Amino acid sequence: MSSPAIELNNLTKTYGKHRGVTNLSLTVNDGEIFGFLGPNGAGKSTTIRSMLGLLRFQEGEVKVLGRDVRTNSVEILREVGYMPSEAWFYPEMRVRDVIRFAAKMRGIDCREEAEMLCDRLQVDDTKKIEELSLGNRKKVSIVCAMQHKPQLFVFDEPTSGLDPLMQAEFFKLLTEYNAKGATCFLSSHVLSEVRKFCGRAAIIKEGKLLVTDTVEHLTKTQAKHVRLVKQGVEEDFVYRGDVGTLLRDLAGQDLTDVTIEEPELEEVFLHFYDNAK
Amino acid sequence: MVLFGHEMKQNFKGFLVWFFVIVGMCFGCILMYSSVESSLTEMGDVFAKMGVMSTAFGLDRLSVATMTGYFATEIAMLHALGGGMFAAILGSNLLSKEEFGHSIEFLAVLPVSRLRLLVQKYLCMVADLFLFQLLGSLCYCAAFAIMDEQLKIGPFVRLGISQFLMMLEIGSICFCVSAFSKRNRMGVGLGIAMIFFAMDLLCRVIPAIEDLKYVTPFYYCNCTDIFLESDLPVAAFVIAGVVTVSALLLAGFRYQNKDLQ
Repeated sequence: MSSPAIELNNLTKTYGKHRGVTNLSLTVNDGEIFGFLGPNGAGKSTTIRSMLGLLRFQEGEVKVLGRDVRTNSVEILREVGYMPSEAWFYPEMRVRDVIRFAAKMRGIDCREEAEMLCDRLQVDDTKKIEELSLGNRKKVSIVCAMQHKPQLFVFDEPTSGLDPLMQAEFFKLLTEYNAKGATCFLSSHVLSEVRKFCGRAAIIKEGKLLVTDTVEHLTKTQAKHVRLVKQGVEEDFVYRGDVGTLLRDLAGQDLTDVTIEEPELEEVFLHFYDNAK
Repeated sequence: MVLFGHEMKQNFKGFLVWFFVIVGMCFGCILMYSSVESSLTEMGDVFAKMGVMSTAFGLDRLSVATMTGYFATEIAMLHALGGGMFAAILGSNLLSKEEFGHSIEFLAVLPVSRLRLLVQKYLCMVADLFLFQLLGSLCYCAAFAIMDEQLKIGPFVRLGISQFLMMLEIGSICFCVSAFSKRNRMGVGLGIAMIFFAMDLLCRVIPAIEDLKYVTPFYYCNCTDIFLESDLPVAAFVIAGVVTVSALLLAGFRYQNKDLQ
């Protein structure tokens, strides 16, 4: 049986007196697409940067592809394709030079794969980085993360700034690489894409992991989305608890309309935040 | 050495600008010697009697009215100051520019250890400073040849090596500053170079602070001392070596342990 692609055990990272992440533990299995959800400042990027050896964490253990990140970061990075949330490069360099530089630093010939990726993502590799919009810089970042066909992809907010067509192409590429065995750790705000492409997901808030479960389970909780109209006023809320109690409570009220349905993942996500308060 | 080549390319424009400004100015000043020679002859005695100013710039020991004196007291000093400033700017920006320019998340996730990254960047600085000094020295040799003036090769080579070591020392200190910072520390780097330059001038005229000659790298690359074939300031060189190596080691220790973001 292969070891998990990512294992975080009690990861704790602080910035002086400021919180980063606290006792964060999770496991990403080999070959899965794993979603990592949380609002801004929750600790998603801190977790990712600790996983990749960019940040020196104080406590805990991080293993990526079976190797300890503290002692084997170079070997890990050889097998990882990382796309940061903000795609920054050297402004005066041309796109093709950035892509070639990334490949040369890996010591492998990625020209064929890079050409295919540039073609599918419609990247103009003759332009200078400083001439590119955020979306186009993101596309260059995707090429740099994918061209060496890594075992593990780590994406931090990959689709922000991409137009819908490019988002679709990006996920098409991702599922193709996943079908060939690659694992993906996908940090995102966009819950619909997590729901569509991820098997499991973790939710983080204020540096603490709230839950890790399958996306299917996360959406099939006892939580219900309740919409009701009471004396002409609409109310809309997510209810978690005994359904019988809810019905008895609603029966005693003067309602003109009521709808009870499965909540959206967004609502489950927000509900976990409310619970953590 | 992919990163070394990348860094050399990144710094190429800056190198050219500094090289053409400093070396170009010095080269032009050497070629202008014949046209200012007569006025320098008249001013030579005046310059030599300016008290502490003459002492600080070595004008009391070498006459500015001779080509050797003109080169030692004016040209070599300008080259040393410019070279020191170039080294300071280069060193103070090498590591921190990746975080300041947000390119660190691109660079640091490529499979290269932080130590290798640091060493290749440092080697790039060494190469740039070496080229600056070597090409500058060749230009001055050419200028002397054009002017049909004799150049004492021994002291000139010693000057070149001393100036390179001075730039390397300043560059290494600023490289260490860069390892501790996430921002562009060009101002700090220039400040360090200027303070060292001022120390050299002051320690030559104020006996009470004479020991500063062991601190400032401009002391051991003073062209007047070298052209007068004074003894090699061994203690100053040893201290410079210790400072340079210590700065590099401290930079390495800090860079290995810092958060890159």
